[in-house]
Amino acid sequence: MTLRRGLLGFAALFVALALLPRVREPLDIPVSYLVFLGLIWFWTAQATSWNILSGYSGYFSFGQGAFLAVGAYTTAVLAGRHGLDFFLTIPIGGVLSLLLALGIGALAFRLRSLRGEIFALLTLAVPFVLASLALVNTAIDGGQGIIVRLPSYPEFLGSFQDLVYLLFMTTGLAALAVAFAMQQSRFGWALFAIHDAEEVAEGLGVPTFRHKMIAIGLNGLFGGIAGCIFALQIGFVAVQSVFGLTVPLFVIVMSVLGGRRHWVGPLLGAAVIVTLQDRLSASGFEGWSLVVLGAVLAALVILAPEGLYARLRRRPLPVTAAFVVPFVAFALLGTWGDPLDWAMAGMLAAAVVAFVPSIRWERRSDRRPGPAAAEMSPVPASPVTPAPEAADAVVAALSANRDDDASPDAPIVETFDVTKQFGGVRALQGVSFTVRPGEIVGLVGPNGSGKTTLVGLMSGTLAPTSGDIRVGGVSIVGLPPHRIAHLGVARTYQIPRPFASMTVRDNVAMSLMFGRSGLSLQAARAAAAEHLELVGLTRRADALPSEINLHERQLLEMARAVAQRPRVLFLDEALAGLNPVEIDNAVTVVRRIHESGIAIVVVEHLLRVVNQLATRLVVLEQGRTLAEGDPRVVMREPAVVRAYLGSAADA
Amino acid sequence: MTVLQAAISGALAGGLYALMAVGLSLTWGMLRVINLTHFGLILVGGYLTFELATNVGINPLLTLVVTVPVLFVAGAALQWAFDRFGLTEFNSLLVSFGLLIATIQVVSNVWSADFQRMSADVNPYATQSLRLGPLVFPAPTLLAFLAALAIVGGAHLWLQRTYPGRALRAFAQDRTIAAAFGIDHVRLGALLGGAAGASAAVAGMLVAVDRPLTPSTPFEWFGIVFAVVILGGIGNTVGTLAAGLLVGALSGVVATVWSPATSPLVIFSLIIVALLVRPRGLFVRRVT
Repeated sequence: MTLRRGLLGFAALFVALALLPRVREPLDIPVSYLVFLGLIWFWTAQATSWNILSGYSGYFSFGQGAFLAVGAYTTAVLAGRHGLDFFLTIPIGGVLSLLLALGIGALAFRLRSLRGEIFALLTLAVPFVLASLALVNTAIDGGQGIIVRLPSYPEFLGSFQDLVYLLFMTTGLAALAVAFAMQQSRFGWALFAIHDAEEVAEGLGVPTFRHKMIAIGLNGLFGGIAGCIFALQIGFVAVQSVFGLTVPLFVIVMSVLGGRRHWVGPLLGAAVIVTLQDRLSASGFEGWSLVVLGAVLAALVILAPEGLYARLRRRPLPVTAAFVVPFVAFALLGTWGDPLDWAMAGMLAAAVVAFVPSIRWERRSDRRPGPAAAEMSPVPASPVTPAPEAADAVVAALSANRDDDASPDAPIVETFDVTKQFGGVRALQGVSFTVRPGEIVGLVGPNGSGKTTLVGLMSGTLAPTSGDIRVGGVSIVGLPPHRIAHLGVARTYQIPRPFASMTVRDNVAMSLMFGRSGLSLQAARAAAAEHLELVGLTRRADALPSEINLHERQLLEMARAVAQRPRVLFLDEALAGLNPVEIDNAVTVVRRIHESGIAIVVVEHLLRVVNQLATRLVVLEQGRTLAEGDPRVVMREPAVVRAYLGSAADA
Repeated sequence: MTVLQAAISGALAGGLYALMAVGLSLTWGMLRVINLTHFGLILVGGYLTFELATNVGINPLLTLVVTVPVLFVAGAALQWAFDRFGLTEFNSLLVSFGLLIATIQVVSNVWSADFQRMSADVNPYATQSLRLGPLVFPAPTLLAFLAALAIVGGAHLWLQRTYPGRALRAFAQDRTIAAAFGIDHVRLGALLGGAAGASAAVAGMLVAVDRPLTPSTPFEWFGIVFAVVILGGIGNTVGTLAAGLLVGALSGVVATVWSPATSPLVIFSLIIVALLVRPRGLFVRRVT
């Protein structure tokens, strides 16, 4: 609903902005302002397209210049040299740039060890390779540069400057609308999750590769289209003017300044930076603008990495006032500068008000005990146990939801003679393991016996060296983890790994969106409530993961896993580090999850807990199954006692 | 023969890339800082050499007496600042990118954007060369090669044999434990940053001796130097030297056999393949 209303808003804004060239002359607005606004829209398009990949998903690209250049050269070569209609070159340039982006993505995102830094350096190299290609290849440039002539266009569009403004504005607004729509839907949230914890996102059902490819594709598409129009505006395309590092510098500074997590950020950043740039060159400091921008980037990353938009949201009135007051004051005085100078003065004042007080505030908060201290407290300030009847209702609702496509007794997970080798270490040597519906299987064994390896194999984060693993009868060997999640496997992590930038509620909503339910963003947020009720985190729904304690984070892990609607849940030492009260509470929660119809595998060191919960016990030792069966019987077997207590106890 | 000549000249020139890369690689590997400003320091080193040699009239090699201390201090100060603000690896990349752009623009404002070259009377090395049979070794690349050998070798011994070197390696492996054993990473980091700055001074001098300077030259180094850093293994001194010579020889041969413009393409394709197959560098022993 908000999505549709927002997009209608964009359409209305488009109509209003498109009228500007019409009313320019009656209102006596100079053409230079139109050029200036066009430039803001150009950079909005570039920065927004960059932000869809780099801001949303966290994969910083230094290769924006490549997309701009591909677009600019497409127009220059096709329209400037071969006389193709300029308007036809726009889609061609966009598609070529899109293909380049997909090529980069297909290569880079397949690297198993790809880290953000390596991706940044790879993309840094791309424009240089393309620039050297363009320089020597006479079919592209050959070092001469290419003149782009004015195309013929319908007369009602106005002058050349009007045309360029309209084209830039349309592109910029379209990029913004896409960025907005993403933020309001599952798509953008998948990217946010990739930003926060990519492996976890994949494990709970997000097809991360596909989402990264779409993000980089959109980056290339809009970067290329804006590049085509840029070629028309500058009229002469040369390697020096379209490649180079000022393009990535500009888009990065704009997005970091404005804020990377919100679609408005790049627009804000573009407006501020273009104004700053314009005023610096108007005052004769042209040579220093890059010095200023470089310094601004360095200062922002250190002092205010979350950007202007977040600050604006926190103190909207003072910041707006700081902008409006100087602007109006100078306008009324009328003794100094033109409106852009007044706007610049207002922006600087607003930036001071937005950033400076919060710097002081953050220094003070350093001294306050952070969440780390809260974790130390022996008992949670208020027990998080939910009212039993409310929880029972939730259990009933969840189990009613369950679609049991498979026959009730068919095993959910089976491993057949699985081995796993890490270099020379044989972590698992032929383990066959089965989980049936309705079971709580305790998986125990001494340190290094292969428990966590087995869980990793069954949830797809590791691949077996030999043997087969089936979930619901389907072999999962070689499947990406998100597909395995969709077959009905969920897990928690020994050290909780929440999505740090999302609230507790949104963490759970991620599973509802990308797990087996596949809800929309709105529906998932609403449905998250009952899962929070199940683990007793309702009160903390709007807190950030950094604001809750270890026990609550472990409960969040469970809620997030259950929200995937799995058939089997692996709890990998989910109770480690808890005090006895917290453990009892967690055991209650696990029972409740089990009652809702999910089979559970508990990996645990605490035998007391395992004995309380498990319906069947599997003991691993040195990568082999040592014993299996009823917990009370198994724990008395001499071999098990020996494995746990050493051979002396046996004697 | 031309291919052999190309390979040897390329490898010698690759010494310069190794020299540029080694400071970057060590601060990345040991201190978790990706310092793009390193390229700015090299640029400043080159221009200082140019300025001193041209206006004071001293031998370019002697300018190191001034440039090495200056850039040592700059490198140490930079590293201290990265530490002071507790930047993550990734944020250091962003901050140093901003500082690099600012540095380049300042250099351009001071020395103009035009090409600057030391005249032949202050720079005797530009025209000299060593002949061995049919093979020719131009003096600047030979100097670069020798400097790379000396500096990378020195850095390697320093890391292996001295207390600060060992402390740094301990710190690189586990910061918390190293700190618990009393390793003062702020001072050690500044020392390593300073050493990287000093190596930038030498590299800058060699650039100024070999070719004309322009403020935008760092952009030409980016690709190939990071290729050397990654292929050599991040933080691996000897690996960096080997990767520098290899990449240099390879691009020399490709440039001769095909054309100079294809060599970046070939090099980058190889880097991507190397990242796919050996993501931790060409020379790292397999650790399981």
